[in-house]
Amino acid sequence: MPTTVQTCETLSERLSAVVLKRPTKLGWFTCIAISFTGVLMLNVAISWLLLRGVGVWGINEPVAWGFAIVNFVWWIGIGHAGTFISAILLLLHQHWRTSINRFTEAMTLFAVACAALFPLLHLGRPWVFYFLVPYPDTMRLWPQWRSPLVWDVFAVSTYFTVSLVYWYIGLVPDLATMRDRATRRWIKVIYGIGALGWRGSAKHWARYEMAYLLLAGLATPLVLSVHSVVSLDFSVAILPGWHSTIFPPYFVAGAIFSGFAMVLTLLIPFRKIYKLEDVISERHLDLASKVMLATGLMVALGYASESWMAWYSDEPNEEFLALNRMLGPYWPVWWTTMTCNVLVPQLLWWRRIRISPLPLFIISLLVNVGMWAERYMIVVVSLHRDFLPSSWGKFHGTVWDWATFAGTIGLFFTLMFLFVRLLPMIPIAELRKQTVEEGKEV
Amino acid sequence: MSDPLPPANSEAPLRDEDEFAPGAAEWPEDLSRRRFLQIMAASFALAGGACTRLPHGEILPYIRQPELLIPGKPLYFATAMDFGGVGHGLLVRSNEGRPTKIEGNPDHPTSLGRSSVHAQAALLTLYDPARSHAAMKLGHPETWEGLLGELLPEIEKWKESAGAGVHLLTQRIASPTLVAQIQQFLKKFPKAQWHFHDAAFPRSPMPVTVHLEQARVVLSLDAELFGYGGANVPNALAFAKARRRDENISRLYAVEVTPTFTGAMADHRRALSPSALVKFAQDLVVTLRDGSKSSDNWSAALLRDLQKHKGQCVVVAGEFQPPSVHEAARQINEALGNIGKTIDYLPAEASLPPSGLPELVTAMQRGEVDTLLIFGGNPAYDSPVDLPFGEALARVPFSVHHGLYPNETAQVCRWHLPESHFLETWSDVRASDGSESIAQPLIEPLYPSKSAHELIAVLLEQVPTTGYDIIRGAWEQRHKTDNFENFWRKSVHDGVAALPMPPSAKAPEPAAAPAAKAEVESKSLELVIRPDAHVLDGRFAENAWLQELPKPLTQLTWENAALIAPQTAKANHLEHGDVVELRYRDHAIRVPVWVLPGQAEGCVTVHLGYGRTYAGPVGSGLGSNAFTLQTSDAPWGGPGAEMHKIGDGHRFSTTQSERSMEDRDPVRLVTADKPAVEVAREDLPETTETLYPKWKYTGPAWGMVIDLSACIGCSACTIACQAENNIPVVGREQVLRRREMHWIRVDRYFDGDNNAPRLLHQPVPCMHCENAPCELVCPVGATVHDHEGLNVMVYNRCVGTRYCSNNCPYKVRRFNFLKFNDDHSETLKLMRNPNVSVRMRGVMEKCTYCLQRISAARIDAEKEKRKIRDGEVIPACAQACPADAIVFGDILDPASRVAAMKKSARNYSLLGELNTRPRTTYLARMQNPNPEIG
Amino acid sequence: MKVNGVYGLIAEFEEPSQVLAAAREARAAGYRRVDAYTPYLVEDLAEELGMHNTGVPVITLICGIIGGVGGYGMEYFAAAIHYPINVGGRPLHSWPAFIPITFELTVLFAALGTVIGMLILNGLPRPHHPVFETPFFEQRNQSHFYLCIEAKDPLFDRTTTQEFLLKQKPAHVWEVPA
Repeated sequence: MPTTVQTCETLSERLSAVVLKRPTKLGWFTCIAISFTGVLMLNVAISWLLLRGVGVWGINEPVAWGFAIVNFVWWIGIGHAGTFISAILLLLHQHWRTSINRFTEAMTLFAVACAALFPLLHLGRPWVFYFLVPYPDTMRLWPQWRSPLVWDVFAVSTYFTVSLVYWYIGLVPDLATMRDRATRRWIKVIYGIGALGWRGSAKHWARYEMAYLLLAGLATPLVLSVHSVVSLDFSVAILPGWHSTIFPPYFVAGAIFSGFAMVLTLLIPFRKIYKLEDVISERHLDLASKVMLATGLMVALGYASESWMAWYSDEPNEEFLALNRMLGPYWPVWWTTMTCNVLVPQLLWWRRIRISPLPLFIISLLVNVGMWAERYMIVVVSLHRDFLPSSWGKFHGTVWDWATFAGTIGLFFTLMFLFVRLLPMIPIAELRKQTVEEGKEV
Repeated sequence: MSDPLPPANSEAPLRDEDEFAPGAAEWPEDLSRRRFLQIMAASFALAGGACTRLPHGEILPYIRQPELLIPGKPLYFATAMDFGGVGHGLLVRSNEGRPTKIEGNPDHPTSLGRSSVHAQAALLTLYDPARSHAAMKLGHPETWEGLLGELLPEIEKWKESAGAGVHLLTQRIASPTLVAQIQQFLKKFPKAQWHFHDAAFPRSPMPVTVHLEQARVVLSLDAELFGYGGANVPNALAFAKARRRDENISRLYAVEVTPTFTGAMADHRRALSPSALVKFAQDLVVTLRDGSKSSDNWSAALLRDLQKHKGQCVVVAGEFQPPSVHEAARQINEALGNIGKTIDYLPAEASLPPSGLPELVTAMQRGEVDTLLIFGGNPAYDSPVDLPFGEALARVPFSVHHGLYPNETAQVCRWHLPESHFLETWSDVRASDGSESIAQPLIEPLYPSKSAHELIAVLLEQVPTTGYDIIRGAWEQRHKTDNFENFWRKSVHDGVAALPMPPSAKAPEPAAAPAAKAEVESKSLELVIRPDAHVLDGRFAENAWLQELPKPLTQLTWENAALIAPQTAKANHLEHGDVVELRYRDHAIRVPVWVLPGQAEGCVTVHLGYGRTYAGPVGSGLGSNAFTLQTSDAPWGGPGAEMHKIGDGHRFSTTQSERSMEDRDPVRLVTADKPAVEVAREDLPETTETLYPKWKYTGPAWGMVIDLSACIGCSACTIACQAENNIPVVGREQVLRRREMHWIRVDRYFDGDNNAPRLLHQPVPCMHCENAPCELVCPVGATVHDHEGLNVMVYNRCVGTRYCSNNCPYKVRRFNFLKFNDDHSETLKLMRNPNVSVRMRGVMEKCTYCLQRISAARIDAEKEKRKIRDGEVIPACAQACPADAIVFGDILDPASRVAAMKKSARNYSLLGELNTRPRTTYLARMQNPNPEIG
Repeated sequence: MKVNGVYGLIAEFEEPSQVLAAAREARAAGYRRVDAYTPYLVEDLAEELGMHNTGVPVITLICGIIGGVGGYGMEYFAAAIHYPINVGGRPLHSWPAFIPITFELTVLFAALGTVIGMLILNGLPRPHHPVFETPFFEQRNQSHFYLCIEAKDPLFDRTTTQEFLLKQKPAHVWEVPA
């Protein structure tokens, strides 16, 4: 927590200054310029895709799902940390969460936004995506409720909506602060609209807190359900490597794992740039690393039990798949996954590493890579050799696959940079409460 | 002309590790495809549109009078096709005057209602926009009148010179009338000469007819009993019958160089290099004569087996084997008294002129040829390398090429005249058994073209010159009957006229076997040249269906390769995909190496028909031209070939990369030690194990059985399905990326020892599972079950998630990754089956059990207030199958044939253990190995 | 007695404890139209001001039930009644497959209900409010604590109420114009 003595005043001043007073640095412009080129690339890739069809990607028979689904699962996974931190840790009274939850919630939103692009784009006929949505169709047609893809539509859209609402509600009091602290009128007006006329009334606070708590209570099962549903996309299918009952927990753990990795990837540079080491302290890094370590071990358990089941089930297809992952044409993917997701995180047993930013930063990057590789392994490597050897094949991403992927990363960072520039990335009101109360405790 | 696609070997080496697959960015693929479309669209000069083009002259519908044509109701007309000088009786469906599907004529003695890949593909040739559209003089469009302007003075000259210096060049001819016309020509111009050249159907050393049904032991000496050619259908049917018998199941031994369908069906197969094969045949004769102990116990057991079945066995020699092997076969058949029982020797082919291409070329080089009339064929491309036809032609003042395409020969001749497709003209053919058919046209010529009959009539200055009058006239002369009108009507209507002529039982005089004393196996590589199974000598190179049809046992498309055995590869330090310089005598080609299990050791096989320059937008510039290695004295290769590696990592456009069954048993075999009950065992879960109750069907419940004992793996089903269901062709780049669209594929596996594998085939259409995994996961219900248990695709509901394909354990679903269907070319619109919707980009498609045929039958049945009869619905694949391996019907009707077959002990479901409960099941393949051979 | 042109009197405190005490006193003194304005949630303050039930959870519950029942109902209607068709041999009413969507819709409706309900109960959005007219409110509302007795209160009287507020030792007492 804050090392220097903080009062409500100083705190509000500092945190709002980040947005209101701090001059926009050249660094920020360069960053957003770079990431925005990514967005432009994404536009080109999408235009070409819509012009020619999904055939511009590397997908084929038998590997009919490729980068699109890999990226979708990867992004959704990353989008789990935010809500996990703000909802579950809130219910667990983890006060340290306060200084990072706004930031991570924003991360969640943007990650889910990137993820949501892919299911749309990967359709053969994206312009009829609305067939997946229940609406009064003149031909009395409905979505096919037994398909996990329909569950996805509901799960992802619900998750996005709830996360957005949750994040916005958390913002309201701070928007009010921004409104009151802003000096120029038009800025006041803009923040004022967002603040909905918040005036800090005690009765409002009471209902607000209750609603916030209820949302947290709702978001908790939700955050667990989303990646479970995503995992059902695979485990409902009969394909070896997909058809597995451990997928839901294993996916959720993986999601939080990758989510926290991304949190660290982002927080470590940001706290440095914006000199927030006292607000986002070593303790946060330490605790986040611990969560990573724990979820990482769960994921490792997932891998282990998959292989073990393959052997124990004595099911030839499963056995073949397990070996094919390790030794087949895509062996580098499996080994990358194991190295980045199982071996590397073991370093986090040492506190020194947990609290030293640079190693932590590198580890978090590696985990991000590892989790992408894991999804590649699950989607592509399971598909490329299934039941009948006659239909076995290979898959290679084309330039358009990579461009789309890189493009979404650009989009993600663009949104992140805009967020830290325009909104208070640290929840001011909640910190006020904490400073005062903890100040008393001291 | 179009800049060719990169030839097989010129392509930059590419590895699987390479990040971006070829055409990754779609640019090259895009360009070639776009160009493909442009040329196709542009080349359609006559905007015929989709209007009715009923031919002039009287033609007779098979079922109804054409004037009773009901829009939407197809008519069927009997006609016939000349394929390599052999007639095939056909039955052609006509929608509003457009021929849209070719089937075999059930009334025809050698078609028996079944067809071949080439009969099926002929439809695309008819509508191919790349066909020649107009007469060309020195490469410029001309009119037929323009031709007459030059031709008539020439004819006057011939009259004076009695035709001296006039030379005719033809391929094999199945039309008796055409042969008669040529004889007439030669009578009128006595000094004129007729030459024969056919690179795919050479003179047969000893033409025979085999009766496989009577034979209990069959020995094939590199004979392709079931491959392309005259008798594949009767052979396949007879063999299937002989296999399905309850007792006395026939046994097939195959000794061959390169794996063939025959070898794939064999109980015992042995791969020998050509020289070794000659030796083997001759040793067989010797040991049979003096009863001396045979060298190895394989041939010893074989001999005993043959001797045990005197008069019930047969030895057949391959078309491309030297006369010595044929002579050996004949001697064995003679010794075992098979002649007249299981095999008939036909008189030497009188219809063919003695003189061939070498005589012609020498004459041309000597400058003795003033006029060269080429009827069909493409000598400028398909002549052996030692016969420089092209150069020699430069010395011929007046040369005329009459053919379907403006091919290489058309480019170098003074005149090119467009030939009418057989569906556009009157003709007649003689089938392999000697029976004759009248071929009637189904459509007016799409382009101003003439048939060979009409052209020769012009040369003979005859009137009338319409095909109808010529053919009818000729028949009227040959068949003097009091009521010719009835005879003619019936013959045209039935599609078969005169009765088969009895084959001459007399054994032929021992062929003057040029003492090709089997030279002992030379250390050097032996070159083996064979026509390609699909494009033959290149005459079908422009047919995209045939180009994309996976080739037997390699599953290769759009290119050819140098096939070598694994051992040979090891010996020469070569790997699959290496690019080599293949040198024979002093000519060489660059060609990628295909390591093919089952190929004879010490020899390399290349197929003809590739490396064409003027095939057209589809066929030009693919693969390597093996004619460059062919010499007139050794047309099918010989010892002394060399291979030098010059590159590697060639990516083959194949549709199946895996070879073995990976210890899974998609194809199951019934052998002596593995009885049917055991083979067809099902690890199906008890239905009580299911969470959900079974869905109830109140017939008809459609199902299919595929008999693997009968299937010869010829892929006729695949191409028939393509024709029936408007399935697009995707092109080489897309096949490279595994996006071929065939609804029914024929898998092949190499079982057991890689050096002497057993070759297996398995056609795989949609299984129409009752618990369809694909349907469960479709988010929009675009694939669902109908009331008769079909797994149907709703194209306009499909959003293209491809989840169904991922969840299909059989991977029979096909996705339109790009816009594959060509809706630019007007002629191709005429070709399409109006009862099957053309799929757009981004939707999934797959086998529908030919839903359109089912509903047609259902409508008829309902009109007549009856149930659909068994056998009334026949899917395209089953109808085409030459071996009757595919049976379709109502599985709830106990009387139906399919239900009976499903009761067989050999019946099993593919991947049945997944509890998908497929409607399509397989009959395990019968093997009848000789117990004496381990 | 009614006083025009005045919204109420507002006292400004430095410490949360003070505003809590003041609120208690005000209620004791019989004031009913009292509200406090604080930079963050001060525990128990709302109770002191006489609000014992926020009313939000009920809304959440009702909306959740609507979402859940509605979701499953929609699936059953569509699959079993409106367009019954054989999909992969599964029964029309494949209840296990209907669970995920039911759950998601429950959460979605509950969450939206909660937020919208909370805003409505709070009378938000309301861009302007008299209390914003309090001198220095903008600058200090993030650090100071206010107690406002509104003019609508029956006991409200400019002088007595002011005296009452001053007794609570505030930093200031301001008059909030209506």
